[in-house]
Amino acid sequence: MAAGALSVRGLGMQFEGLSALADVSMEVPAGEIHGLIGPNGAGKTTFFNCLTGFYRPTAGELWLDAQRVDGLPTHVLSALGVSRTFQNIRLFANMTAIENVLVGSHIHIGVGGTDVLTARRPSKYAALERMLSLRGAPRAALQGVVELAGAVGRPPAVRRAEMEAVNTARTLLGAVGLAGKENALARNLPYGDQRRLEVARALATRPGLLLLDEPTAGMNPQESAAMVGLIRRIRDQFETTVVLIEHQMRVVMGVCERITVLDYGRKIAEGTPAEVQRDTRVIEAYLGTRAVKEAGDGSP
Amino acid sequence: MNPMRQLGDSTVGRLPGAARWPLFLALVAMLPFLLSDVWIQMLFFVGLFIVLGLGLNVVVGFAGLLDLGYVAFFAAGAYSLGIMTSPGSPFDLDMNFWLVLPLGVLIAASFGVLLGLPVLPLRGDYLAIVTLGFGEIIRLFLVNREDVTAGSQGLSAIARPEIGSFQIETFTHWFYFILIAAVIVGFIASRLRDSRIGRAWEAIREDEDVAAAMGVNKVKYKLMAFAIGASVGGLGGVLYASFIGFINPAGFSLQVSIDVIAVVIIGGMGSTPGVILGSLVLIGFPRILQFKETADFLGKFEWLRDGLNGIVAAFDTVIPGSIGRLPAASEWGRELADDTRFIIFGALLVAIMVLRPEGLVPSRRRQLEFETEDLPVPAGGAA
Repeated sequence: MAAGALSVRGLGMQFEGLSALADVSMEVPAGEIHGLIGPNGAGKTTFFNCLTGFYRPTAGELWLDAQRVDGLPTHVLSALGVSRTFQNIRLFANMTAIENVLVGSHIHIGVGGTDVLTARRPSKYAALERMLSLRGAPRAALQGVVELAGAVGRPPAVRRAEMEAVNTARTLLGAVGLAGKENALARNLPYGDQRRLEVARALATRPGLLLLDEPTAGMNPQESAAMVGLIRRIRDQFETTVVLIEHQMRVVMGVCERITVLDYGRKIAEGTPAEVQRDTRVIEAYLGTRAVKEAGDGSP
Repeated sequence: MNPMRQLGDSTVGRLPGAARWPLFLALVAMLPFLLSDVWIQMLFFVGLFIVLGLGLNVVVGFAGLLDLGYVAFFAAGAYSLGIMTSPGSPFDLDMNFWLVLPLGVLIAASFGVLLGLPVLPLRGDYLAIVTLGFGEIIRLFLVNREDVTAGSQGLSAIARPEIGSFQIETFTHWFYFILIAAVIVGFIASRLRDSRIGRAWEAIREDEDVAAAMGVNKVKYKLMAFAIGASVGGLGGVLYASFIGFINPAGFSLQVSIDVIAVVIIGGMGSTPGVILGSLVLIGFPRILQFKETADFLGKFEWLRDGLNGIVAAFDTVIPGSIGRLPAASEWGRELADDTRFIIFGALLVAIMVLRPEGLVPSRRRQLEFETEDLPVPAGGAA
């Protein structure tokens, strides 16, 4: 759908005394499949959490296409086209597969989508401002009443939107290989299916930028290979930009066009898979300084 | 077409879904021709708690927000009608019932939003405690602000509805009135459940952070749930105040909140048939125990009482004066309803929670949740 070019400028995330991210900058052009790697605790998931509004970055700027988006609430970021999956699968466990996907379609059904209009970057005193000003309240209340009336009265427009969403959801489930499992409860799906369902749900939001947090974690080589194929297909078919966190080097090297390496919250390398593989700082981060020396010596 | 349909409540009977409710309602509508006034009065209260239960169900069952202060909205509705129509009200407005009905609902809804705003970031236990406090605040307000609420004196001669020259006054009239209200509320609740709003609520219940990441505006939908629940509570309050004709703060204690939440949980959270059954068991049954018919019926068991008292007397010969005698058998129902009611109900609650934790008539979904509890690979299990 959208372009989904991501620009990160000097991003920092400080938790009390702990600096989880410091001065991270990167450019991901629209349509790229970009890898994010680094040892455990390097700040990769924190980076995703900043991008999706789970955390509010303490420094730096985030730009999505031509819009500055840092500090926006999660649901607004989602409406602007940022969607994600989770390292530890977080499906709506007691909802069916198709319902999970339909939640992803939420803002595209009926009178929705209007939330995007409120995408104003909040100031430092946003919470206070929100409390004191009731400017948006009457309009929001009116919108709520209209939406409730639509749900109760179920006019043809709402019915049609709902049916379209169901059709889209079926298509998406088919696209990730879950056709025929629409009415299974998410919790009852096998592990690999749950991962794929998360991808389908994320796609239902019609993302410009899709963030995949370890999409192949816990998968065997065949399943991983299938996931790699799926990621490529998604990029081509849905025209999204993809940023993925990944530990399996085979996957990273196989699917990513460029890679950013994080270590202790800092960017230590960036480039094509081949470039990153040769980078001494990367080898050092993963294997320690001796490994670098040995690699330099050419000795085993 | 709608995937929610397949998961709809399907435990009433074997009739096709579409025919089930009209048939049930037709049977219920015939009851006034079959039963005496005390029964119809009892059924009014059952209907009232069905309305309240359906409203709270939206908040607790659909959106997963545990609200223990539901009485606040019930009181808001009841006092709206009381203050605006009672001749004893400090304002002496003397308004028409039909004008106050929507006003009362609206006032209760704004109370819902008012409560919702500060508790938005709270979850689970914390939410329960704050809502509990809110219910108490409202009760204390009713007692202490005599210039607004007439305090513990209460408000009397509250307006009753008229349709043209026809006045709703007999138990039968009220029975039909509450029946219509319950049908409307039930219809609205089921429509909401099967819409994107219902899905958003459910997603928030499951994992509100992820729901937000999927584009659901948490603030909006939580407030919506509170507002809907509160307006139904307000509606119940208006109807109750008009039916009773007199209200004072004593009628709006924590007990009401507990009764409504018990109706929802015993019946089965998220399930409409569950709310109906829960209300019959928790609200209807204790009243039936107090009926004269029940006393007459139990009177036939005088021989059982004699027998039991015989056994007691035998014990008494061993340790004289240790045990009292059972009262007359005809009094058993009343005794049970008065003194022992809470013991019996406590035991019943525990029993139901142990034997059927999903409630008497669980929603299809809840049933699945409980059935599949032990599966080895739960989604999000690593969280």
